[in-house]
Amino acid sequence: MIDDSGPIFLQIAALIENDIVSGALPEEGQVPSTNEFAQFYRINPATAAKGVNTLVDEGILYKRRGIGMFVAAGARDRLLGRRRDDFRAQFVQPLCMEADKLGISRGELLAMLTAALDGAGPEDALNTDVVSTRGRQHHE
Amino acid sequence: MSRVLAVSRMQLINKWTFLGVPAVILGGSLLLSLVIFAIIPVEDKRTGGAAFAPLWYFFVLGIQSLTLTFPFSLGMSVSRKSYFLGTHLAFGGVALGLAVVFWAGSQLERLTGGWWLNGYFFRIPYVIDGPWWHSMVIPFVAAMFFFSVGFWAATVYRRWGVTGTLIGVISLAVLVVAAVVLVTVSGSWPAVGGFFVQAQAIGVAGIVALLAAALGTGSFITLRRTAV
Amino acid sequence: MSEDVVRVTDLTRRYKDVTALDTISLTFRKDRIYGLLGRNGAGKTTLMSVLTAQGFPSDGTVEVFGEDPYENEAVLRRLCFIRESQKYPDNFTPAQAFRAASLFFEGWDQEFALRLAEDFQLPQKRQIKKLSRGQLSAVGIIIGLASRAELTFFDEPYLGLDAVARHLFYDHLVRDYAEHPRTVVLSSHLIDEVANLLEHVVVIDRGRIIMNDDAEAVRGSAVTVSGPAGVVASFVSGREVLFEERLMNTASVSVRAQLSVAERREAAELGLTLGQVSLQQLVVHASLAHSGGGMAASQAAMSAFEAEFTEVSR
Repeated sequence: MIDDSGPIFLQIAALIENDIVSGALPEEGQVPSTNEFAQFYRINPATAAKGVNTLVDEGILYKRRGIGMFVAAGARDRLLGRRRDDFRAQFVQPLCMEADKLGISRGELLAMLTAALDGAGPEDALNTDVVSTRGRQHHE
Repeated sequence: MSRVLAVSRMQLINKWTFLGVPAVILGGSLLLSLVIFAIIPVEDKRTGGAAFAPLWYFFVLGIQSLTLTFPFSLGMSVSRKSYFLGTHLAFGGVALGLAVVFWAGSQLERLTGGWWLNGYFFRIPYVIDGPWWHSMVIPFVAAMFFFSVGFWAATVYRRWGVTGTLIGVISLAVLVVAAVVLVTVSGSWPAVGGFFVQAQAIGVAGIVALLAAALGTGSFITLRRTAV
Repeated sequence: MSEDVVRVTDLTRRYKDVTALDTISLTFRKDRIYGLLGRNGAGKTTLMSVLTAQGFPSDGTVEVFGEDPYENEAVLRRLCFIRESQKYPDNFTPAQAFRAASLFFEGWDQEFALRLAEDFQLPQKRQIKKLSRGQLSAVGIIIGLASRAELTFFDEPYLGLDAVARHLFYDHLVRDYAEHPRTVVLSSHLIDEVANLLEHVVVIDRGRIIMNDDAEAVRGSAVTVSGPAGVVASFVSGREVLFEERLMNTASVSVRAQLSVAERREAAELGLTLGQVSLQQLVVHASLAHSGGGMAASQAAMSAFEAEFTEVSR
């Protein structure tokens, strides 16, 4: 949903991107109208339009005159590529830095990751939660 | 023009205020007068004067029209001019209705010899005993006058508050007293009486109509500069 | 140019001992939702009053639809301004008030008005003077929405309404605006609730405009940096600090900045957390700074102001 984490049009764009990546919005599928977004998220229609248009400018969506907005062919692959780059910057690098800070050795980190991939233990999951919650509290 | 009419229609949305209450007051005082005429049979011709009871309500209505509907009308995006004209048009309609009732009533009284009781509710000596059109013009003017006084007082209050209203009312009182003193000192009461006799009710009505018009003009000018 | 619905130049409104509006200039463009924000008594209602010719300017010019609105029926019939303290004829019921509105607003949608009355659970046959504050607000909201006037003002429309009813209003506003675009001016001191509805934000404080910007630009104009106090301090040095908080060795500082991708990465590498500043916080800060609260507002003053900006009922 919409929160205070930055301009709303970017959040709208991100929400649509998420749905394309997850497959909820298939390629060549129709995207809800600007007004539907505005009503659903209770935001200004112009702002919703700006979010949608950002994706049109990037070629992720395209307009069919008089019909509506559709997901472009190849949109999912392009978004996936971009998200993978982001993944490294947003998650992997902070993960490594945090591990370093806590004195977790390379071997231990890899073992943790393997274990997590095999089905994370509740203890590990809890720890990551604590870190992220504390991070949020700082600016609230 | 359409917005002036719209204001008139708005004033009549609540039928009770402009039509119901005056009708009840008039009907009630007529009934009461008839009861009194019937209970106390006397040979002499009797007159009531209770027919003018609604006039006091018209004074109140003048005040109410302004205090209740002026801010609301501005909220309805009406210009002050349309508000003024529409409200006075609505009231003019009510005054006309009253005039018709007076005319019909006084005709009926003549035909029935005072409701078969020799009692006269509408025909009031000096005030309403002239030609048929007098019995319409005089109530009309009287109603408009009372309404205008109320409307004017409320406008002054709205624009200048309690202090302004007090100053206005006191100045008026001073004027009246000054006139009385002047007439008394110069010993011209007989002349004044003579004037009223000569002017007849209809002539006095003309003067009252001018007064009402002056009050109306004053209200209008004030209203044009009144903020909400 | 013809897109400008309202154009105000050097508008001043003085009362005996107060200057309610002090040389204000602004424009409202067609078919946008504006937020007119500021504290109680900042001059919001006075401004709307003058724009709708219910009040008068002491100085300066006001143009609405390209003309002076004073006694100008052609302009007035295209706008609707129900004030927060709107007076209704004492003996009117909501149904009668709606009937009156239908006489004056050409775009009036009676069916919509009735639907809204039902949604707000407004007793239509009860005299207005017997309605609660919230129900009275609902009458104003319904007239404002159903009038479909090209320029509609909502003056603190939610007083006395509970959260459910307030969101009902926001929902209806967005939906009806989407279907019938028009210029909406929403005056409010409850900024967080209406922030997302606004396209443009005008903030007034003590009769002056202290912010007049695109809502999205305002939202993206500041960032909160949190982390170890020393690291935060060096990261934000040289930037305008809006407000700061500190707990032991952890600091959270909001600065005016639009960080580049490189700066964001740098922050991440330094172990700093980035967060956004809400529109309400930015408005509160602007008001505080204008009131002489200094560059970096103290937390206590912030909380007091926030409380004022979030207070719903009086």
